[in-house]
Amino acid sequence: MTPKSRVNRIFQFKYNMMLPALLVLSAVILIPLGYSFYISLHKYILQFGLGKWVILKNYERAFQDTEFLISMKNTFVLTFSVVSLEFLIALGLALLLSREDLRFRYIYTVILMIPIMIPPIAVGLIWRLLLHPDLGIVNYLLGLFGVPRLGWLGDPRLAMPAVIGVDVWHETSLILIILLAGLSSLDRTPFEAAKVDGASAIQTFFYITLPMLSPIILVALLIRMIAAIKTYDLIYILTRGGPGFRTETMSYYVYKMAFRKMLMGDAAAMSFILLLIILLFSLILIKVIGERSR
Amino acid sequence: MVSYRTRRTISTIAVHGILITACLGVLFPLIWILRTSFAHRVIAYRIPPEWFFQPTWDNYVMIFKNHPFHLFFANSLIVALVSTLVCLIIGAPAAYSFSRFRTGGNAVRVSVLTTQMLPAITLVIPFFLMFRWVGLHNTRTGLALTYITFNIPFIIWILIGFFEGIPRELDESAMIDGCTRFSSFVRVIVPISLPGMLSAGVFSFVLCWNEFLFALILTGKKSKTLPVAVSALITQQGTEIGAVCAATMLIIVPMILLYFGFRRFLIKGMVAGAVKE
Repeated sequence: MTPKSRVNRIFQFKYNMMLPALLVLSAVILIPLGYSFYISLHKYILQFGLGKWVILKNYERAFQDTEFLISMKNTFVLTFSVVSLEFLIALGLALLLSREDLRFRYIYTVILMIPIMIPPIAVGLIWRLLLHPDLGIVNYLLGLFGVPRLGWLGDPRLAMPAVIGVDVWHETSLILIILLAGLSSLDRTPFEAAKVDGASAIQTFFYITLPMLSPIILVALLIRMIAAIKTYDLIYILTRGGPGFRTETMSYYVYKMAFRKMLMGDAAAMSFILLLIILLFSLILIKVIGERSR
Repeated sequence: MVSYRTRRTISTIAVHGILITACLGVLFPLIWILRTSFAHRVIAYRIPPEWFFQPTWDNYVMIFKNHPFHLFFANSLIVALVSTLVCLIIGAPAAYSFSRFRTGGNAVRVSVLTTQMLPAITLVIPFFLMFRWVGLHNTRTGLALTYITFNIPFIIWILIGFFEGIPRELDESAMIDGCTRFSSFVRVIVPISLPGMLSAGVFSFVLCWNEFLFALILTGKKSKTLPVAVSALITQQGTEIGAVCAATMLIIVPMILLYFGFRRFLIKGMVAGAVKE
């Protein structure tokens, strides 16, 4: 076989293998995205079909829409709280679980990894029942300790913290899984050297563990942050965005725009703004932690 | 100064204390729902709760008789299975192609990452509108199609990791024995990478099973999946607590079974790409 025809064969093979995936992905992602963008440039009320061309007006109006801005604020608050809390708790648990001579390590690990397996809808339902002001077990148990009956998901000041709490309950185990895998993949040598040199636990943590873990931490934070910005399921089940607009995330508001207010054009525009925000923050996060790990 | 011994004991107690509290925090809500799903109506609503009562299957019977939960269960199952299979069949060759030849180079990594960044709602709007033209609304096929959007990138990502772990000598020895590239892939590589396929497959199945927004918008009475059906039990008229708990257990139990059955595979899948083995 001449070299040229051999190369040709490989060329054909590798692209043929990719082809189905490429075609399907284009059909299933690019076309809808393209159409969505096209819609976002028009006025489109569901019952009346595609309306007139308004260029970027929808985008402009989105930023003047108070409810949209509130949902943006809520999304940031939620994302920031949720990612930091989950990360800190997961890190703490991961370090505890990685201690030498920990008895029952396996049982603890198996149990602590369960929450992420539960469907978000189920998590929302469970906690909605538990947090019911009158019929929920949480208020009952708190009452045994003298805590007054709290409104939780119905209380304007407690709703967002409650949502954050539920999300933390659900997602911390995902970060825990990633961190544990990361910790166990670390090379033992630096740790042993540190021990010989008499480093304390705290010093070991900050000068060895953390730096070595940083690429993994970056991935965990990125994954979690992107997912948190997109939060929808939990909001739908727990609060429907209430009380008022207090727990409305951007995803939920776009849903409301499209399927309650029937304003497809505006909704499409807002959904792209959401996408852009996600891209932006991902880039920022990658840069920030990327720099640090140099 | 406290002795070393005492300090160690205190720290051990503290550590186990924290871990046990965390575990209780995880288990209590789940056990509570389990308990309530077996409670007769009156008991389910009662606060202060009755700690000991006669369990009953009533709630479970109700969700299958008064609502067609067997249908919803089947819908979820079919959509998840079909979606996962299609993605594996399409994704495996693509992952192989990338792993062996770096086809597409950086664009592959970038596109995998960007598809993860897409908010579901950005795709749901166009899908909703487009499905109405082609009559895919309220069908399982339509829903399975949309699930491919978020599944293929994940599956390709995970499988690339697994294929990297298979030495190229294997491909080549198969070809020396007379296979074409394609049949060496199908007859030799695929069987060996079954654990990886299982990882990717189970992970993808879980994603489909749990998915909510696409299902909410794109399905109707006949094609509803479990998450949508369960959420519909909480109505304006009020909540049938026992039924909700039973239905919730219906959604959760398959996931718990998968978790205990395929734990190692699932974790490998979740961690793939995040941690270099």
